[in-house]
Amino acid sequence: MTNNRNIKKEIDVKLHDEVLRDALGRFVDQYSDARLKAYANVDSIEDLRDSLKEMKQETVAHIEEIADEFEASVKQKGGQFYRAKDGDAVKKYLLKICQENNVQRIVKSKSMASEEIHLNKFLIDNGLHVKETDLGEWMLSVAGQRPSHMIMPAIHLNRQQCADFFSQELQEKVPDDIDFMIHKAREVLRDEFLQADMGLTGANFGIAENGAIGLVTNEGNARLTTTLPRIHVILIGYEKLIPKIEDAAKILRLLPRNGTCQRMTSYMTMVAGPTPVIRKVNGNWIEEDRQVHVILLDNGRLKSAHDPKFKEVYQCVRCASCLNVCPIWTLVGGHVYGHIYSGGIGVILTGLLNSMEDFNKISELCIGCRKCVSICPGKINIPDLIEELRAQNVKNNGLSLPLKVVVQDILANRKIFHTLLRIASIGQKPVQTGNVIRHLPMFFAKLTNGRSLPAIADEPLRDRVSKLLKKNPPAPVKRVAFFSGCNIDFVFPKTGQSVIRVLQDLNMEVVFPEQQNCCGKPVLGMGDRETAKNIAKNNVIVFEEAVVDVILCACPTCAETWHKTYLELFADDQEWADRVRKITAKVYEFTSFVAEAYEKADRLIKTKGSKKVTYHDSCHMNRGLGIFQQPRQLLNAAVDYELVEMKNCDKCCGMAGAFGMKYSEISLPILKEKIENIKASGADTIAVACPACMMQIQGGLDQQAPEIKIKHIADIIAEHLE
Amino acid sequence: MKKVCSDWTKIFSQEFVNPIFWNDFELNAKAAHTEIIKVSNFEEAQMTIFNIIRSTKAKSIVAVGNEESTKIANIYNNLYNLGVQIYTDKFAIAENAPTADIGISTAEFAVGETGSVCVDCYSYESRVVGMLPPVHIVFLNCNNIVKNMTTAFKVISQGFKNGYMGFITGPSRTADIERVLSLGVHGPSRFIIIVVDVPAIGGMN
Repeated sequence: MTNNRNIKKEIDVKLHDEVLRDALGRFVDQYSDARLKAYANVDSIEDLRDSLKEMKQETVAHIEEIADEFEASVKQKGGQFYRAKDGDAVKKYLLKICQENNVQRIVKSKSMASEEIHLNKFLIDNGLHVKETDLGEWMLSVAGQRPSHMIMPAIHLNRQQCADFFSQELQEKVPDDIDFMIHKAREVLRDEFLQADMGLTGANFGIAENGAIGLVTNEGNARLTTTLPRIHVILIGYEKLIPKIEDAAKILRLLPRNGTCQRMTSYMTMVAGPTPVIRKVNGNWIEEDRQVHVILLDNGRLKSAHDPKFKEVYQCVRCASCLNVCPIWTLVGGHVYGHIYSGGIGVILTGLLNSMEDFNKISELCIGCRKCVSICPGKINIPDLIEELRAQNVKNNGLSLPLKVVVQDILANRKIFHTLLRIASIGQKPVQTGNVIRHLPMFFAKLTNGRSLPAIADEPLRDRVSKLLKKNPPAPVKRVAFFSGCNIDFVFPKTGQSVIRVLQDLNMEVVFPEQQNCCGKPVLGMGDRETAKNIAKNNVIVFEEAVVDVILCACPTCAETWHKTYLELFADDQEWADRVRKITAKVYEFTSFVAEAYEKADRLIKTKGSKKVTYHDSCHMNRGLGIFQQPRQLLNAAVDYELVEMKNCDKCCGMAGAFGMKYSEISLPILKEKIENIKASGADTIAVACPACMMQIQGGLDQQAPEIKIKHIADIIAEHLE
Repeated sequence: MKKVCSDWTKIFSQEFVNPIFWNDFELNAKAAHTEIIKVSNFEEAQMTIFNIIRSTKAKSIVAVGNEESTKIANIYNNLYNLGVQIYTDKFAIAENAPTADIGISTAEFAVGETGSVCVDCYSYESRVVGMLPPVHIVFLNCNNIVKNMTTAFKVISQGFKNGYMGFITGPSRTADIERVLSLGVHGPSRFIIIVVDVPAIGGMN
């Protein structure tokens, strides 16, 4: 169903869905503050997140024993227990229970696992009467749609659309009055509950200690599903298991707050073993024990549990908050992710639980901004896991041919790459205006719709350095090698000049090893680890030979790649791991390095200038490197400037390497919002510390607010040094 | 009536429950649309229920808790004698809960951090009284309040072997249509806690 998908087209449809854009826009505006308000009465969100993460990590490390204990507990209480290796096994088992017990009517309470295996369709095809009871899921089942969010399945619909589905299901005209619809649903679904033979639920957790399962709902549908029918079937995935009763609190203090911004949902229900049910048999009321069946679903979960990287998905409690803060999900909604799970975690779960083919279609729908990582209750490194899946995929299937040429023949070969960039600098002349390209002809036009593209500089930094380095101080305190990265070298060489000037002003000698290549991040983003290793080795050798005290990057992505990714790349190679560790100890990011030097020299004095400047936090700088104070300290101390903050200063600008070009239709609305926030701050200058953000925001300003200047912090400091 | 733990108060100790968490509880419960009515004795409790019956024009009531507490049993008897249609037998509850206007049950303890009450509802009848009628009233002893969910689960882990229990935090709600909050979608639209302000003497007795 999904393999012939035209994802670009689907995205385009969603971007033009006004109802969706309106709903998501309003939600996103409120979510972050509402979430923090829900946490206002806890001592430390971090402590809660750590305790959840540790508990889940401990559990996955012993998943088989925990599952055995859970099974023993369920059986000991009198429940039936079945381990299903996949969806087919679940279906077969469930159908058998239905047939043996003369089940005709089933009510369901939100189970994503049942969506994952397309259970409803199977049951209906087998003649069973099946009803979803969560209001949102019920409306979607009537509409024949899939949920677009794990917690708010129908967030993409408005009241008129909902009323239409009500009318269609009930065969009567239902007005688009929300209260009316709610009460109508209560009536209709109440009958379903009372008549059902079987209640089918998922579980938010399953406790090994006593075999209980926990369900968190607001509507109370899970409570009815587990109370009224004579049979209760629980479909639970391995990742929901927890060892002890007390561990449930670790989930419950985070899940409602992150998921729905509540301190607790209306209902939190736990069921351990069979419980009494009272029903009428042949005209007489009888009390008996309900049949309870627990189906423990694998469907790819155990394989992940035993994978050193992907076991991390067990830290997920399905709160869906990674969707709520994702710059992409909040623009396009959940349906373009294609399978059941959407957003960042959805991309991963689709790959692990569904298929790599489906993953491939959506693997690029992560901008790598790490906002989700900063709020995930289980602290899952979502972008890293997506990158890991891409890498495994490339390892198994290789890059597609055009990418292979770009990556392995061009990017990995510094000479060819740099020669091509020089040719591009000449080739772009017909479309260039000053430093930017404002319009591209024909099918490239969309790339410049609302954003100008940066022009490749006439003279790259590497051709300018010999002159600059002549101004090195005679008795330097440090010898610094400048790792410029591609953007500064070829697009913003003037920023490179500023960096050199700032360092020389600190009485440091600057060197520029000419054999340096791209840091390798774009290649890694495409999943080609082998090529990235070659690039990394080249850079390590070149900078070892430079014999310096410090290696300085003025691009946070380059700094992050050196520090984090190079180490990961050579994790299995002792010799190279040692070399990398030694050399990366010298790698620093520009603003943090300079702020520290200025502090020592008493140069971090707050000034108040006439030019208002606002600062955009690059994702890699802020969440990747944890640097957000130092750039502000430098701006506060910059002569002539006054720092003013803007709304959502730490939200992604939409560039994220190649993403901004390939998915320009998503990148541009994100950029537009950024430009509006910059304008609203009243600043006449926007400062950045990341050349990729600089490229993106410069392009947006050029077309939407040309009166505002963009400057790298190095440029701002250097102004005063002239 | 079947319960997960026959006496939760045996588990309580000073380090778990403490009335100092009352303010937190009240604030959070009200924020979750719970109605809280404080009474100083069971006569007042009876009056309060009678007023709710009158204001909601309730015709029939399903109620549990009379087996645990003679005082609650007295209230039900008195209401019955005042002409209120009140069912307390489990089969009568099963029969009448779908059409009843009010359900009444008890809570074991409350949680300051979240405004939740812990309900032990192993028995079928204790569950339907809280889910099927549009109004749900619970009795709570105001001394039995724990600080947060972490403490709540310390208590639960000592009493929960098997059965059915959990927390209620306000009425049934949904925001599935345009994220507009609507109460009473499947369960009650009103959740009322009658807080009995008597010293901790164990349960409701």
